[in-house]
Amino acid sequence: MGSSFTAETLKLRKRPATWILALIWVVIIAFSYFSTYAFIANTPPAGPPPAGPDGEEVPAEVQEQMQAEQEAFNEALLESLYPENLVSNMMTGGVTNIGSALLLILGALVLGSEFGWGTFKTSLTQRPGRLGVLFGKLLAFVVALVLFVLLGFATAALCGFVIAQLEGAAVDWPSLTTLAKGLGAGTLIFAVWGAFGFALAALFRGTALAIGLGIAWVLAVENLIAGLAGPNSDNETLETIRKTLPGENSFSLAQSFGSPLPDDFTGGFQPLVEAGQAVWVLAAYTAGFVLISALLFWRRDVV
Amino acid sequence: MSENGGQAILVETSGLTKRYGSKITAVDDLDLTVNRGEVYGFLGPNGAGKTTTLRMLLGLIKPSSGKARVLGERPGTPASLSKVGALVESPAFYPYLSGWDNLKVVARYSGADKSRIGEVLEQVELSGRAKDKYKKYSLGMKQRLGVAAALLKDPELLILDEPTNGLDPQGMADMRTLIRDLGRGERTVLLSSHLLGEVEQICDRVGVIQKGRLVAEGTVAELRGQSGLYVRAEPVEEAARIAERLAGVEDVQQKDGMLRLTIDPEKAAEINGKLVEAGLRVSELRPAEQTLEEVFLQLTGEQQEPQQQKSEQTEKEEA
Repeated sequence: MGSSFTAETLKLRKRPATWILALIWVVIIAFSYFSTYAFIANTPPAGPPPAGPDGEEVPAEVQEQMQAEQEAFNEALLESLYPENLVSNMMTGGVTNIGSALLLILGALVLGSEFGWGTFKTSLTQRPGRLGVLFGKLLAFVVALVLFVLLGFATAALCGFVIAQLEGAAVDWPSLTTLAKGLGAGTLIFAVWGAFGFALAALFRGTALAIGLGIAWVLAVENLIAGLAGPNSDNETLETIRKTLPGENSFSLAQSFGSPLPDDFTGGFQPLVEAGQAVWVLAAYTAGFVLISALLFWRRDVV
Repeated sequence: MSENGGQAILVETSGLTKRYGSKITAVDDLDLTVNRGEVYGFLGPNGAGKTTTLRMLLGLIKPSSGKARVLGERPGTPASLSKVGALVESPAFYPYLSGWDNLKVVARYSGADKSRIGEVLEQVELSGRAKDKYKKYSLGMKQRLGVAAALLKDPELLILDEPTNGLDPQGMADMRTLIRDLGRGERTVLLSSHLLGEVEQICDRVGVIQKGRLVAEGTVAELRGQSGLYVRAEPVEEAARIAERLAGVEDVQQKDGMLRLTIDPEKAAEINGKLVEAGLRVSELRPAEQTLEEVFLQLTGEQQEPQQQKSEQTEKEEA
């Protein structure tokens, strides 16, 4: 497997798609930080609210209260960008949203492209054998996804630091324990989506359908189930199904790091699944996807 | 590893069969042996089952039934693959990598020494373009890179599937020379092709596959059959009677006003003399040796006939 791993790392390192996805990841994190900062910086002070339907003016004390609320919100939003909120910001923003989708794409590309290029007949006629090639590929992918997590956190840390400096705010960092937990949880969430991409690519022996269906699952299917099993629904079956889905568990694990905004602005949102349970469910999904990929890869003919 | 007349057998299949569903049998009960040190030509028309057989020997496809041994090992295992170099159908490499980096990837997979990369690139005359991206290579260059990758392990057995596909005449000639050179000495080459001239020029032994079955196997000379002479002499009946009595003539056949004598073609002058002495007019005398193409068409054509008859009969029955 060692020889296969070194071959796979060389391929991943030299593949433009890897760097393009990494660049997209960095740009989106930086954009979300600085676009939020620009929004706060460019929001004009709240003026008098529009008159009511019968021309009645809003009382001065209500106006003052609304102005104070807006300023408090802007202040909280600004503070959420500071380095002390790095972990919760990354987990609820970058990792569970765009990051998961990017890793699903990378997972599908790493395995699926080889079917398209026909290169499995080259790699599988060398020494390592089928499972050696597959596990070398998986190991190289795990290294890549850890680097993606580190890159995301480093980008967010840098953006937060720059904004804090611009605002002249004190730079406080999250504790090492919180940071380590965040990196671990981020790696697990990325692993489940990367492995999902892997399994879909093994199933469909290509990239297009794997990426299409994977993204459709992330964006449509899980959201649809979440919508149907929403707070106003009393369908317990849907609620139970929802608690077992990878997206919901990823989101719950991310939410366990708290929201970067105070509860006053989020309504005190609670994760659907406890963090401990989410970790086990995600680990089981990752193992399941890897097992499916290995079985398909082992059993099928390479034509 | 088993032996065949004192020679080690590198590739051995017994009843090897590959079916796709219940209707398609790509390879049917194939018994094949390739001995150490020989260049074995695996000949057959397109779709005969050559590539499927080679893929089974490399572990890319699992057989439906039967057995195969490559270098005494089960196909596709690290033990067998470590000594086999292969180019199956069109070469397949990573388009975003250079030729050099592609070979580096292959070297890492196979555990081959990195110093071999330069050597094999030199061998296939691709050193000058080694740093170019694979996607920019011409078909011929891709083919040569495929051969270079197959040679990287310095393999005992080289499996080449249609290696001259897509090459221009000069490229084909170069490839033939390369394969002939590679087959010298201890290395064994299993060469699949539908180009008869290629096989005739390169191979020590040939197996002909048709509709998944091995229909003939032997040296090129064996497949061509007994040599002889074509004689056109008048009157032909008299010529046949005289020829039957001549020493060294094993058989006389008459066809289209000509005689085909089974005899050593070196005896052409002697035959000519006897016929002229008997007062016959000899207008043509030439060696009668079947080309491999003729043998191939006979073998593959004969196999098609029963099938055609069967389908015609089925059509009649249906009507």
